[in-house]
Parts: sequence; C-alpha cells; structure tokens
Amino acid sequence: MILFTSMGLLGLLALSIPVGIVLFLLAFGVDMFFSPFPLMKGLGQIVWSSSNNSTLIAIPFFVLIGEILLRSGVAQRTYAALNTWVSWLPGGLIHANIATATMFSATSGSSVATAATVATVATPQGEKLGYDPRLFTGSIAAGGTLGILIPPSINLIVYGFLTESSIPKLFLAGIVPGMMMALLFMVITIILCSLYPTLGGPKQHSSWSEKFIALKSLSPILFLFISVVGSIYMGWATPTESAAIGVLISLIISMAYSVLSTDMLIKSLVGTIKITSMIMLVVIGAYVLNFALTASGFGRALQDLLQGLGLSPIGTLLVIILTYIILGFFIETLSLMVATIPIVVPIIIQIGYDPIWFGILMIILVEMALITPPVGLNLYVVNSARKNGKMMDVIVGSIPYVLIMLFMVLLLIMFPSIALYLPNNY
Amino acid sequence: MIHIISFLRKINNGIAIIAGLALLACITLIILDIVLREFGISFSGSEEISGYVMAAVTSWGICYGLTVKAHVRIDFLREKSNSFIRSLFDLIALAALSYVAVYLAYYAIPVLTKTLKSGALSNTAMEVPLYLPQSIWLAGWIWFAISSSLLLIISLILVLQGKYQLVHKNIGIGDES
Repeated sequence: MILFTSMGLLGLLALSIPVGIVLFLLAFGVDMFFSPFPLMKGLGQIVWSSSNNSTLIAIPFFVLIGEILLRSGVAQRTYAALNTWVSWLPGGLIHANIATATMFSATSGSSVATAATVATVATPQGEKLGYDPRLFTGSIAAGGTLGILIPPSINLIVYGFLTESSIPKLFLAGIVPGMMMALLFMVITIILCSLYPTLGGPKQHSSWSEKFIALKSLSPILFLFISVVGSIYMGWATPTESAAIGVLISLIISMAYSVLSTDMLIKSLVGTIKITSMIMLVVIGAYVLNFALTASGFGRALQDLLQGLGLSPIGTLLVIILTYIILGFFIETLSLMVATIPIVVPIIIQIGYDPIWFGILMIILVEMALITPPVGLNLYVVNSARKNGKMMDVIVGSIPYVLIMLFMVLLLIMFPSIALYLPNNY
Repeated sequence: MIHIISFLRKINNGIAIIAGLALLACITLIILDIVLREFGISFSGSEEISGYVMAAVTSWGICYGLTVKAHVRIDFLREKSNSFIRSLFDLIALAALSYVAVYLAYYAIPVLTKTLKSGALSNTAMEVPLYLPQSIWLAGWIWFAISSSLLLIISLILVLQGKYQLVHKNIGIGDES
C-alpha cells in the first residue's frame, strides 16, 4: 500500500493531473485495492464535514487580507520605510528586500504574491543604483518564502487541520524560527557583502528624523500584524475571528490610503476565491486520502515497513528530509505539503517526533521548494519583474539563502525547543 | 464551441463574485458577533454560519478555479512536449478531473437526500434545517461535474480539429486570457 500510494502519487502528478484530483484518485485506488469494506460510499459525508468548517474559513480571510494589501500600495511604503532603517548595513538595499518581504509576507500569507510585489517595487531601485542582480533578486525570492512560517500562515492552518494539531500552537511555534531565519538571511548578506563588496551596492544612510518619519508608514502593517496575532494569544479571538478582524483593518488601511473602491474590492474578492479554490481542492483531496489510508490500516503497514528497514528515528527523519528536498525541485509548497502529510506525518508520530515541531520543519523544507529550480515559483516571479536578465541570476543569488534554510533545518533537529519553547510555555 | 467556453467562464466569474460577497457578509457577521460579545450579548451563531459559508464557497469556488485554470498541475513532463502531446496531457488531466467531479457529485447527493428524509436540524441553538446549506453546497459540486464534463467534450473536439493553441489557452497551464 505504501508503494502503491507513493508511486501512484508521483506517476499521476507527472501526467500533469491537478494535484487535488490526484489525491482523490489515490483515495479511490486505496479504497478499491486495500480497504476491507467500501469507503467511498461515505465520500459525500466526508467532503461535507471537511468543508463545513469554521476554522478553514480563516484561509480565505487571510488570503483576502493579502489581496487588499497588495492593491493598497502598502508594499511600496513598507519598502521605502525599511530602506531608511536597514540600508546602512553592508549589502544596502538587499536588507530592505529581505525585511520588506518578511514583514509583508507575514501579514499577507502568500509567498508568491509577496515575491512578485516586492520584486516590482525593488527591482527598479536596484537597477538604478547598480546592484549586482544575483544576490539582489535572490534575496527577494528567498525573503518572500518566510511568510508561510511567520504567523498568521495559511500553510500552518492547513497543516493543523490535516494533522489535527492546535493552530494557535503552530502559530506560536513558527514565530522564533521565522524571525531567526530572517535575521540569518541578513547575516549571510552582511558576510557575503563584506567579503565581496561587488555583490552589493551603495549603502544608504538616513538621519534619525527620517527614520522616525518612516515609522509612520510602517505602523499600519505592524498594527495589523499585532492585532491579528495578539488577539489569538490574548484569548480574545479564535484564528477565524482574528482573520476577520484583520480583513476589517486592511480595509481601513486601504481606505486611509484612499484606494478602496468597489472595483478594487470586487477584484480582491474574486482573487481570493481563485486562490481559495486552489487551496481547498488539494486540502479536501488530502483529507479524503487521509481518511482512506487510515481506514485501510496504513498506520500498521507503515510500522511494519519501518521495523523492516531497521532505520533509527533520526535516520528515518533524514530520509524524509532528503525526500522533501528532492521533491521540492519539482513540486510547490502547498501541493507538496498537502500531498505528503497523509503519508509522512503518521511516520513522524510513529517514530516519536512532535507533530507541531515537524510542522515547522516541513514548512522550512517546502519554503525551500519555492526557490529551488527547475520548478521554483518565486524564482520565476522575481525574474519576470525584471525587464531583462537571465533566470540563472536569481537561481545563483538564492543559493546562500537555501543554505541558510538547510542550516535552520539542522538547528531545529538539534534544538527542537527553538520551535517548541513558545507553544509549550504559553 | 468557443462561445460555450466563454459562456461558462462568464457564469463562473459571476459565481466568484457572489462567493466573494458571501465571504464579506460572513466577515461582517463575525465582527458583529465579537462586538456584541463585548457588550455581553451572546449571539454565537457566526461560527456555525461561517462553516456553511465555507462549504458553499469551497464547492462553488472550485468551479471558478476550473475556468481560470487555478488548480495546480505539475508541469515538468508536459512543458517538454510539442503542442500535440501537450494537448493530450491537458485532455488526460481534464478527463481525470471530470471523473472525480462526477463521482463526487454522485456521492454528495445522498448527503442531502438523507437530511431531507430525516428533516435533520443542526445540533446547535440555532437549529438550522441542514438541507438549506447542504443543497447550496451540493449544487456547487453538481455544477462542477457539469461544467467540467462540458469543457472536456469541447476540448476533445478542439483536439480532433487540431486546434492545439485553443486547447492550451482554455485548459492548459498558465495565465488565463
């Protein structure tokens, strides 16, 4: 059954069948060949109970926040403001790229949209000031991936839903690793640009008064972030309620910048439905596959396999990580996550790892998938924001950040409390 | 042929707008609920209703996703092929999708018929007759089955006519338009 599922998954995906549909087909296959009794008679009920869910509606809400912010010019303002704060470091504007991508993606929840927006804002600046295009574009592609780790994160909601883990706990667990990775991105930039100054560009110095004026344009996005994340932890609101509050705040922000119009709102809503439909098809597919696998005794089959292999827990974990890195060359974040959760998370729990901790580890691995060729959406998005220039620039420029991600994975394995300290203590 | 596709697309665009407005209404309801709670008035129906909205937005939204090619496909074999093979990939993908869509719609029907037979109410203070949200949800899946099958038939004809560009444009991978 394990072989059937994994090979079936890869084969059907290679045929370019939509990922969500592949998961349904696999569930049908498992039902047909391995289940002692017909499962799919209850398919309707499973789909109804999985989508009639007041937690999942947080997903379209968070998507909507991003859609509204994207159309409000918040990214431009954030970039300009952060520029005054971080561009005196070796590497100059590259730090503004990372910081903006981190901050913007944390609130908007979409990696690709963040990379696209920041690239559109930053690229003209970088070209004008004569930055080396490689590290400059690579930093945007990599920075944009951080959003799915820093709460509120749609990917973490999906992970929590499929593995029945606590979403507030997952959100707490993502904070420290997310911030750490953003800092490490900046550190590696400083190191590289100090050793090879040609990789960066001119540093920029801003006076303190400029910095404080800049704070004003950072405040809306900070306020949004703190309201959403804070209201969950203070116990005022469920993740869904906090997302609704976030939508309200983002509407107020767009009103304050006088960009709110019926047309803009309709476009944001339709964009939200598009992204939500894409997410929900794979989520429901994974839910159905999860159900079929569990009912057919997949857990026992896994246990037998693991015992047969005789790998130690850490050995198994390393094999899983390697698999993610390889799959990540070809498959993107959410699809990769959702398609593998039904198979991988039971293994992880079986060998005694914490599912919250693994959720964070998995997110970092799928973040890597966004910036590893040949299929790395962020690479394409960032490159297409440039007038000309080779894809290779972005790929090469992302390498240092990919290495940081691997380093972070290693740190998390050695010190699980980086992720688990906050959720276990608050 | 193309008229049918653009007609489908028009309908689904309308669906997306309605679904989006439903989300907005749901957000308003939730915020109202939070505000009322602060004043000590318990209303507490918003959680249940947002579940129903999510179910409907999901089934209907997935139809919209079909006509704007939102559903993620892995491209690495397909992109290396010529336009004829590419169309075949697109056909296989759409055929698989239609199969699942029809299967889903077929097995979703009993959810509603059972509710209708038993007259089940939701297990909450609001006692919503469950057939209401379930019929909206079911209609979405049925429309998904109908629109995907229709799209499959049209694409099959387009492939037979050798119009690979049109196939790519309508059921391929990449930007709409």
